[in-house]
Amino acid sequence: MTTTPPPLTAAEPEPRRRLHPLSPILHGAKSIAVVVAALSWQTLSQVGLERFALVVLILAAGVVVFSLIGWLTTGYQVVGRELRISDGLIWRRNRAIPLERLQAVELRRPLLAQLTGLAELRLEVVGGGKTEAPLAYLTVREAAALRERLLSLAGRAAAVPLPADAVPVPTLEQPLLRVRNRDLVISQLLTPQAFFLPVGVAFVIMQFVLEGSWTFVGIASTFTAMAGVLLQPVRRVLQDWDFRLARDPGGRLVVRYGLLETRSQVVPLHRVQSVGVTWPLLWRGQHWLHLRLDVAGYAGEPGADSKRSDRLLPVGDLPTARALVHDVLPGVDLAALATSPPPARARWLHPFALRYLGAGLTDEVFVSRWGLLTREMNLVPYARLQSVRVVQGPLQRWLRLATVYADTAGGRSGQARDRDLHEAWALAEQLADRARQARGPAPVRP
Amino acid sequence: MTESRAPAVDALEPWPDTVDWRPVSPKLITVELITRVLWVVVLLAGLGVGYAFTPHWGWPTGMGVVVLYAIWRSIVTVRAVHAWGYAERDQDLLVRHGLLVRRLSIVPYARMQYVDVTAGPLERAFGLATVQLHTAAAASDARVPGLPPGEAARLRDRLTTLGEDRAEGL
Repeated sequence: MTTTPPPLTAAEPEPRRRLHPLSPILHGAKSIAVVVAALSWQTLSQVGLERFALVVLILAAGVVVFSLIGWLTTGYQVVGRELRISDGLIWRRNRAIPLERLQAVELRRPLLAQLTGLAELRLEVVGGGKTEAPLAYLTVREAAALRERLLSLAGRAAAVPLPADAVPVPTLEQPLLRVRNRDLVISQLLTPQAFFLPVGVAFVIMQFVLEGSWTFVGIASTFTAMAGVLLQPVRRVLQDWDFRLARDPGGRLVVRYGLLETRSQVVPLHRVQSVGVTWPLLWRGQHWLHLRLDVAGYAGEPGADSKRSDRLLPVGDLPTARALVHDVLPGVDLAALATSPPPARARWLHPFALRYLGAGLTDEVFVSRWGLLTREMNLVPYARLQSVRVVQGPLQRWLRLATVYADTAGGRSGQARDRDLHEAWALAEQLADRARQARGPAPVRP
Repeated sequence: MTESRAPAVDALEPWPDTVDWRPVSPKLITVELITRVLWVVVLLAGLGVGYAFTPHWGWPTGMGVVVLYAIWRSIVTVRAVHAWGYAERDQDLLVRHGLLVRRLSIVPYARMQYVDVTAGPLERAFGLATVQLHTAAAASDARVPGLPPGEAARLRDRLTTLGEDRAEGL
């Protein structure tokens, strides 16, 4: 999407805008923290405090100058139904993002940005392997206004663009749900990592009592190991803290959460590619489940799930989830999704988990479920199907079975595993047929 | 969902009465065989060099394994190329391939993001090209190798036309 910008038409004399003047300092602060961490305590003790401070200072100055150049050369503007972002000093890059391809917009505020009243705007576009062009940083107000504008431009068919300085009317959102922080903490205590903690502590104490040696290195490394194990649940709690869902007047879903880094994400409902439901083993006593929302653009992002914003419900009970799924995928009742199991001869491939495998077609979605300990379910609306695949491995051929995949742009495919071959063909044909009908005869953009 | 259709004859031949499967060019067999021969030559040369430096019974055994494997793969290739097939229905493109693991993809034209037509040096020498249809889902694979350039261009044009007609992407 790298294009040279055509000369601006007279109809759209919008000036190129800059990011907030504080952004180079914020960017710099992040890099400096990394640098200090890289230099580590060992270096500090070797070179002495003064020299250490000097090195850090020089590096800091360099980083800030770099960020400053970056800031001076970065600009954005909305032209027609495109957002244009240009950056780079030596390698100039002009990138035009067609707004009809916009999947979701997220407003992120890391801790430093919260202290300074700034925010980062991230756009999700299909085809980008990762988040396209995060605009970091803007003032919260500017970011919110820009987001509103981009979304309204994205939602409409080609029409008169809003005036650039239109102040968004404070919109009335209809709150859908709020996850209690108590539940969130309990849910993260009910994870294998948290269960490991007492065992680990007991093991360490046992060892020390038996060996009778209390070396500093031993204790320190044990604590580091434990912190590493506990990092994920703690991070989840911090990230999903104060989780709120609302629906804005345009019918879009607004998700807000986070403690140290707050995120607020707006997803138009017709951009939901699939919904995943998970029942972890340890949550079964509470009858809790987890809902995941797949939007095209997020799934391509590699690495840690912490970076991804795909939560629809971090923890909740069935009635809540049922109401929520009904809102997100109209007409779908989570409690009434019938699935049928694969034939009994698939037992050769799934000796234990066969009972929990299943797939089914409802009027709106393709349902598949699997998992013995952690039960999972995937809902793919027919209208979002990208392609249908039927795959048959050698063992499956011997057992006359085949697996049907329903691919979505979100990356997670719905899969009906090990169906009878005839049934698989019928299923594939049904899926293709229903997807065609759901797409409708003419392109209709809600 | 469970209604039983006319019994499918073969895993690679679903809906035999409604779908008109088109084969890929048999010249693809030659291309694949030449590629394999080149690989075998490289491997054998490597093993031969190893044998020249340190004479050991392991090297000739390795050569034998490579040759046997290549012969087996070549026999499979002949059948695998015959197993490739594609069909254009009015709403979607069907591609089937694979012998050991059999795959069938159904990709609606409306979901097309872009079409690739590629041809390597060997493919060009034999007048072949590969057409690949990309959707927004990374998992969908609709790749048709071994098409004559005319047919490849026709397929590409047809796909793009149909894709534009029904374009909505997501």
